[in-house]
Amino acid sequence: MYDEQSLSSYMKNSKKLNSENFDKKIKVAILSSFTLNGLPESIRVKLSTSNIFSHTFLGGYNQYNEEIINKNSKLYSFSPDICFLFLDARKQLGELYFDPYSIDVKSRTKFIHNKFEELINLIEHFLENSNSKLILNNLFIPTYSSYGILEKKIDYGLQEMIMDFNKKVSDYFKNNSSVYVYDFNSFVTRIGENQIFDYRQYFLGDVQISLRYIPHLANDLLGYIKPILGINKKCIVLDLDNTLWGGIIGEDGISGIKLGSIEPIGKAFVEFQKYLLALHNRGIILAINSKNNLDDAMEVFQNHPDMILKEKHFASLKINWNDKVLNLKEISQEINIGLDSMVFFDDDPVNRDFVRTLLPEILTVELSDDPSLYISKLIELNEFNVLKITNEDKQRGKMYQQQRKRIELKDDLNNFHDYLKKLNVKIHVKEANEFSIPRISQLTLKTNQFNLTTKRYQEKDIKTFSNDKNKLVISASVEDKFGDNGITGAVIIQKLSSQEWLIDTFLLSCRIMGREIENSILNFIVEEAKNGNVKKLIAEYIPTKKNKPAESFLSDYGFKEDGTRWIFHINQQIQKNSPHKLVVSK
Amino acid sequence: MIDNLYSIISIVFSIDKSKINSDSNPETIDSWDSLNTYILIDEIEKEFNVKFTLDEILSIKNVNSLESLLNNKISKSK
Repeated sequence: MYDEQSLSSYMKNSKKLNSENFDKKIKVAILSSFTLNGLPESIRVKLSTSNIFSHTFLGGYNQYNEEIINKNSKLYSFSPDICFLFLDARKQLGELYFDPYSIDVKSRTKFIHNKFEELINLIEHFLENSNSKLILNNLFIPTYSSYGILEKKIDYGLQEMIMDFNKKVSDYFKNNSSVYVYDFNSFVTRIGENQIFDYRQYFLGDVQISLRYIPHLANDLLGYIKPILGINKKCIVLDLDNTLWGGIIGEDGISGIKLGSIEPIGKAFVEFQKYLLALHNRGIILAINSKNNLDDAMEVFQNHPDMILKEKHFASLKINWNDKVLNLKEISQEINIGLDSMVFFDDDPVNRDFVRTLLPEILTVELSDDPSLYISKLIELNEFNVLKITNEDKQRGKMYQQQRKRIELKDDLNNFHDYLKKLNVKIHVKEANEFSIPRISQLTLKTNQFNLTTKRYQEKDIKTFSNDKNKLVISASVEDKFGDNGITGAVIIQKLSSQEWLIDTFLLSCRIMGREIENSILNFIVEEAKNGNVKKLIAEYIPTKKNKPAESFLSDYGFKEDGTRWIFHINQQIQKNSPHKLVVSK
Repeated sequence: MIDNLYSIISIVFSIDKSKINSDSNPETIDSWDSLNTYILIDEIEKEFNVKFTLDEILSIKNVNSLESLLNNKISKSK
């Protein structure tokens, strides 16, 4: 349960509100069969934080019938935009609430049907006299029965009577765009019957919702008021590390991050993602704002077996080293929604503070550092309500995704080469030495994606190769303007003859994939071959489940297929133009 | 404790703390109506982690009776 301020503080603060300070205004009426004092004040203060001023009207105690039936009532002269009608089960059922079994099943069924018709008539009256939306609560289903454990054995028992009443009412208004049923029963269940219902307050003043929970109720009701004014959040922007998965992908790697059903933390992230996916499927836009290497993150999206959210679920993916505020502004422009329609989820308090300070329009969610609490934070938001969900809403995620692809393609064509140039990539290639041998071995053992042959070599193998005159073992370390990635590429050449070299191994760590670094390294190999008067480079691509990223590398570079092998004639081909600077050291 | 109690009374009844004394009662404080009494009790119970009986709530006539009731509760719970 989230923290709430005291009811008295709401009552006090509501007195300070001045309608002149607000752009948006709304009139809210509350009618009820029991005491709900304090609810209008809580609603007014809560709405004011969304820059909405509300005039409120609280009907006289248990006078909802008169207010609705009398055409000249204060309710109608107040002329509400939205009206809440709160009814309680005790008054609806009267004596039957305590002993429903004093009459037979048939009479009970008839009684509930009559009560339902009575209510429908009343609401039809309201709709004839007002253009306001009407929000009606369902009745709390009592947890006590005089029949104890036999309650469920009884035909049309107390609980069934109320459930049937609730169902009749919600069914009746299912397609009515003026009447909504507020699931009050769930509100009580969520907080707990023993918390909500305080017998002392009930006997003292017919207070049926304990006073300290009135602000919580107000929070729920805001879910109906805000969408009338078109105020609802449309997009959730998420960080990645420790937000969608546990740990840091850049450090822990795809197998090191916590995500999956095996251990508790991993489960928390999987389930959080499932909730997000459900929101996406009903039309809430998802986006990513994360400081990470794009390739590292994409590897998780593409290859992690427990990743629920895929690339296709996001309307925008800002996975880069730009500042988060800049990224949020870009997301807002790209998907063309206001900053005030966005919610930002990030586990890092510094980032949250940064965004809150510079972009106060965005709802930055205060997360604890416990991922098991993310779901309840998301559920408590109650900010995504709309009065209607259209088919377009449901398709929205897909639409944005297509749009993103277009933008990206355009960006690709225009800017990718420039972008790579701006990265100031320097690739240091070097023959294997005692320092690089352990790392080269490790790369052959761990690299799955950009790996032509996926041959695994132990340290002693690499050591043997590096001393072999007929072999050439090369390490490549890559640095860019953001920092040094260390040794992230390796090549092993088998010199078949003075004329022919075979590429035994060619691999890149996922950290540096997608930046045409492979072409620069291959350029270096071609150059070396040329210097040694070699005529032909022979390569293989051995497909595995994971090395699709390397699939078209050879043909893109200019190798020609020859049975199971790929051939590159040194003197007949022009090398690939590379945006990167190559530094060769012996 | 008294200071804390007076703070709550001041917020619930929206009056200045300096205007509250042990004789204050519904006659001297305009906003002291029955509903505000229930809110006051609820917030005192939350703050001091005590619970009053229905009888006790009904016996509150002024700040003094509230004070002694609360003192009684707190000393019992110790």
